[in-house]
Amino acid sequence: MSIVSTGTKGQTALLMGNDAIARGALEAGVRVVAGYPGTPSSEIIQTLADVASDQGLYVEWSANEKVGLEVAAAGSFAQLRSMAVMKQVGVNVASDFLLHLAEYGTRAGLVLITCEDPGGLSSTNEGDSRHYAKMMEFPLVEPGNFQEAKDMAAWSFELSEEVRNVVMFRSVTRMSHASGNVVLGEPSSSLMAPGSSKARFQFDGAMMDQMGGPVVTFPGTVDAMHRRQLEKLARVREIFETSPFNTYAGPDQPELLVITSSAAYLYSQEAIALLGLEERVGLLKLGTTWPLPPRLLAKYLKASEKIFIVEEGTPFLEDNVKTLWAELGPKAGTKQFFGRKDGGPLPPTNELNPDRVAQGLAEILGLPAVLPDQAYRDRANELAKSHAPFRAMTFCPGCPHRASYWVINSALKQDNRRGFVCGDIGCYTMGAISCGFNTLKTSHAMGSGTGVASGFGKLSRFGFDQPVMAISGDSTFFHAVMPALVNAVHNQADMILVVVDNSGTAMTGFQPHPGSLSDASGGALPALDIARICEAMGVKVVIADPFEMEATEKTLLDLLDETGGVRVLILRQACALSPGKKGKHQFDMTVDETVCLAEDCGCNRLCTRVFGCPGLIWDPKAKKTRIDEVICVGCGVCATICPTGAITRKEVA
Amino acid sequence: MTALQLSFDPYNLIITGVGGQGNVLASRLLGRMLVEQGYYVTIGETFGASQRGGSVMSHLRISTRSAWSPQIPHGRAHMVIAIEPSEAFRVLAVYGNPEVQVIWNTRPIHPVSVITGQAVYPSLEEITQGLNELSAQNWRLEATAQAQTMGNPILGNIMMVGALSAVSDLPLGPDIFEKTINEMMPPAKVPINLEAFAWGRAALS
Amino acid sequence: MVEIKENQGQTWIRNQVMAQGLCTGCAACVGLCPYQKFYRDQTAIIHECDRTWGRCSAYCPRGQVDLNALRQAMFDADDLTPELGAVKGLYMTRAKDLQIRERAQHGGTVSTLVALALEEGLIDTAVLAESEKNHSSKSTAVSDPAQVASLSGSKFSVSPTVAKFNEISQGDSSRIGVVATPCQALALARMRVHPQPGDEERVKKLALVIGLFCGWALSFKELQQLIKEKAGAAHVKGMDIPPSQHKIMELRTEKGTIEIPMEEVLACVRESCRYCYDLTCEFADLSVGSARSPEGWQVDRGWNQVLVRTEKGQALLDLARSRGVLEFKDVPPENLSKLKAASLGKKNTCMVRLEEVSGRKDDLIYTRREAILCQ
Repeated sequence: MSIVSTGTKGQTALLMGNDAIARGALEAGVRVVAGYPGTPSSEIIQTLADVASDQGLYVEWSANEKVGLEVAAAGSFAQLRSMAVMKQVGVNVASDFLLHLAEYGTRAGLVLITCEDPGGLSSTNEGDSRHYAKMMEFPLVEPGNFQEAKDMAAWSFELSEEVRNVVMFRSVTRMSHASGNVVLGEPSSSLMAPGSSKARFQFDGAMMDQMGGPVVTFPGTVDAMHRRQLEKLARVREIFETSPFNTYAGPDQPELLVITSSAAYLYSQEAIALLGLEERVGLLKLGTTWPLPPRLLAKYLKASEKIFIVEEGTPFLEDNVKTLWAELGPKAGTKQFFGRKDGGPLPPTNELNPDRVAQGLAEILGLPAVLPDQAYRDRANELAKSHAPFRAMTFCPGCPHRASYWVINSALKQDNRRGFVCGDIGCYTMGAISCGFNTLKTSHAMGSGTGVASGFGKLSRFGFDQPVMAISGDSTFFHAVMPALVNAVHNQADMILVVVDNSGTAMTGFQPHPGSLSDASGGALPALDIARICEAMGVKVVIADPFEMEATEKTLLDLLDETGGVRVLILRQACALSPGKKGKHQFDMTVDETVCLAEDCGCNRLCTRVFGCPGLIWDPKAKKTRIDEVICVGCGVCATICPTGAITRKEVA
Repeated sequence: MTALQLSFDPYNLIITGVGGQGNVLASRLLGRMLVEQGYYVTIGETFGASQRGGSVMSHLRISTRSAWSPQIPHGRAHMVIAIEPSEAFRVLAVYGNPEVQVIWNTRPIHPVSVITGQAVYPSLEEITQGLNELSAQNWRLEATAQAQTMGNPILGNIMMVGALSAVSDLPLGPDIFEKTINEMMPPAKVPINLEAFAWGRAALS
Repeated sequence: MVEIKENQGQTWIRNQVMAQGLCTGCAACVGLCPYQKFYRDQTAIIHECDRTWGRCSAYCPRGQVDLNALRQAMFDADDLTPELGAVKGLYMTRAKDLQIRERAQHGGTVSTLVALALEEGLIDTAVLAESEKNHSSKSTAVSDPAQVASLSGSKFSVSPTVAKFNEISQGDSSRIGVVATPCQALALARMRVHPQPGDEERVKKLALVIGLFCGWALSFKELQQLIKEKAGAAHVKGMDIPPSQHKIMELRTEKGTIEIPMEEVLACVRESCRYCYDLTCEFADLSVGSARSPEGWQVDRGWNQVLVRTEKGQALLDLARSRGVLEFKDVPPENLSKLKAASLGKKNTCMVRLEEVSGRKDDLIYTRREAILCQ
């Protein structure tokens, strides 16, 4: 039982940011929670799913983030406090619905939690979703520490109900995946939002009756709805003027005013302490970052000539503060702004940390930089070069994708027509680097592989003669591939879609998806069958096991020979980390050193140099391959690729 | 909070290793042991793609006065626990200083670059010499070997926590460990963890 | 034994052979390691091998070949001719067995000799080419003499003959015979004369090479398209190029014979063949091709010409004569000079093309000018 649900009021717990958010939602009486896995957000839904039946929640891993937000919105329309959870790219997927949702408004509190990834620690980009709040005109809040993560998560539901609109709550990796002391509040016992007795959807009222009419955005009502939306925003502005989540520490007339939000608050606080500038620098921490409360900002802007905006992500806060200052007119006074834009001093890309902020402060105030012992640093760096070899990402030992890419690469090379694979997001994105034999040649967003391949597959009329393939995971199939596949089938694109079905959403922690037999809480659900769906679309479907490499290679070569439409090859083999496989050895692996050719002509270390499974070690002294018993999971695939049969496998009883 | 004492405030501890070594569990365990005794603890972690063979680092800020940033400023680590030996050097290059202390496990996990023969992994002697140079004091443990005899290599992380309890003035004794591990693990798993902790503690006593 | 300097392994194969359009598809570099594979009619590199020396490069007929060293090792110096390589004698033959002749391209001589060699135990396995339905060719290992006839007939796209030899020679066979085109025979000659360290025992298993006269091979992809264009769905039973005035290729289908103008066929020639000098397959024990005589094509099309080059080849032909499995007829006196002229023509064309590509007169990429002329 997690402390997130069992912890009592007043208890201090060490909570991860995501757990604090989950606890805050529980304290506010959230009832409906939906979203899609994405690092660094996934733990929120998982934690709530684990306590769903005890706490009386409905928690869903939705097919994608747009549906997730729609599911949560339904909860809100039915008078239940609801929450949608995703990472930054998920907001892009949900954005079409978000626009309409924000235009119309909500009923019971609805909070959109987005956990973002500045620096792209677990992402292919460092997108910043805060702009949606400004663009689509709804409130945005950002917690500045772990206590606020909990408190503001709970408060966001109240705010949402106060102004009857969705509230975006933005966290970042260094908040979501970091932990700190949190004093817990009172868990909510009420099943319903204040004022309701059971879930129901009212729709008999007039079109403009937000709480009782149909929830419809419609041509002809746009002007009126938009005005209503702006009125809500004005009310939010007023509420934000006195919010306890906007705090100030420092002198009344600081030499330099730091304006910050989110995890950057912690870095700024530490940077000021590092340089001993508590008496010279003011720290304005904003928890309410859209719309900006103008009177509050004016008060602090007037007190200093130098303004340093420290934020994670794009210069969202920076631009908005500058705009607000421009609107204040002459009474705000002349200012010098510092931030992440041209001239800095903060770098425009990547995440921040206390050192970067401290460097910025020192530069602005003309202070010597606080640097660690240079001689030590130089020596430590030198030793790190030789003693800490780079750890590239690779597939786990036993990963079916290694086998799948081995087969795909081999088939495409033999086919010899410069065929290529378009992919997207998942563990299989690593097909783009050497662990996937550099097979993947395009990769963008969820489902993009199929969409892009659908385009390439129509270019033969322009002389295009390279075979086109797309690759997708099973979860991605349901998330975004299906419409792209429909497009490819209907338009008769000449392509092969490979679905690497490892029975789960692996990269983010092995969550279930619509192809799984269970829900987020472990209960039973009917699983959708990818093969049958493809067949229903009218395409040829072949299913193969990537661990049967020779047979699968032949199958793929035959598919490459066919032309004139979409072919689907499902490579089905469970993820090495899936519950059914984890910790279990199918085979005991051994290397016969007398047979191992190692570096000689005829092998040249195919298993360690090319195949690259971490369970195989190259012993440079013995000049032979060894099995690492700690790492090897006994999948047996390396025995298949060994050219001399030196690697053998024995089935474990 | 007057009873709480720290040699440095905040005390900056880094636990580093490779994905799958139980880095996160160790840091949560330590953090919890200290929060329960009234300290402010902030833990910053990088994980997600780390499962796929990458480096993992947890920063622990331990304080009697306030919460600190989840990232330790450069060059300011007080103690580094390396569940994987080469990772100690990666950490020390950014966060080390002449006064730092290191507790390290000897068992290497070879990166793919070493496995493929593109890079060379340092020998035990080279690691020992390097750490002697870069730390004021360091201790080594054959934790993985011991953990394997106890049935699971991942117990190495608990052993490192035990070792820390022996040499650090942080209040990390067997009693608070037992209390905390009982809160964090199912009952069946507790005895083996107590054993692992005791072994690590004894190893450096 | 000439040392191979600068071998460079797969890098040579990739940069100096494949990238230059010189790869003949003999597949000598396939089957010795996992880094190359053969599919349809192409050798493909699957993964990069960074060895600076390899058997692939040592055996490749477009590697750095010392043709004269090979001739010195394999043939009597007195038998060497500048145009044709070693010649002990020229014969005209055909299979006695009518059934073999019916299935054969021309005289059925190759099938007869292979079956004989298997029956007599001179070889225990033969590596032969087999047509696939889609008109590509694969290589097959045959131990039963009765199976040989079914594999008769010229194939116009390349099969991975040397890869098959590599495979078989690493197994239980001890005496292997190979029916080879000139490039395949050259690879086998390099193997035989300069076996690389560790390969000696394997290569000793090569017991017999029957060479085929060869003008060029057709690229599978283009050939398939051409056939589809001309014959549609009709099944093509055989293909041939009769040496008639009209210069055509015949496709024999169940619906009759379709003629394709030569220019269209030549557009499908495999690029690497442009750089081949060898018409009559120099590096064989005996080489077999189509016949020419004053009696005209209708008669000639049922006969073969055979160039015997080694004592082993002579012994086999003599055995065939004494067993009565081959019929012989007199060779018209001008045939040898005609054959020499034809072969010289290919050599000259080749040298011109190699010169164009290399920009040099003597050092012609994989060999030297004088070596082509057996000097």
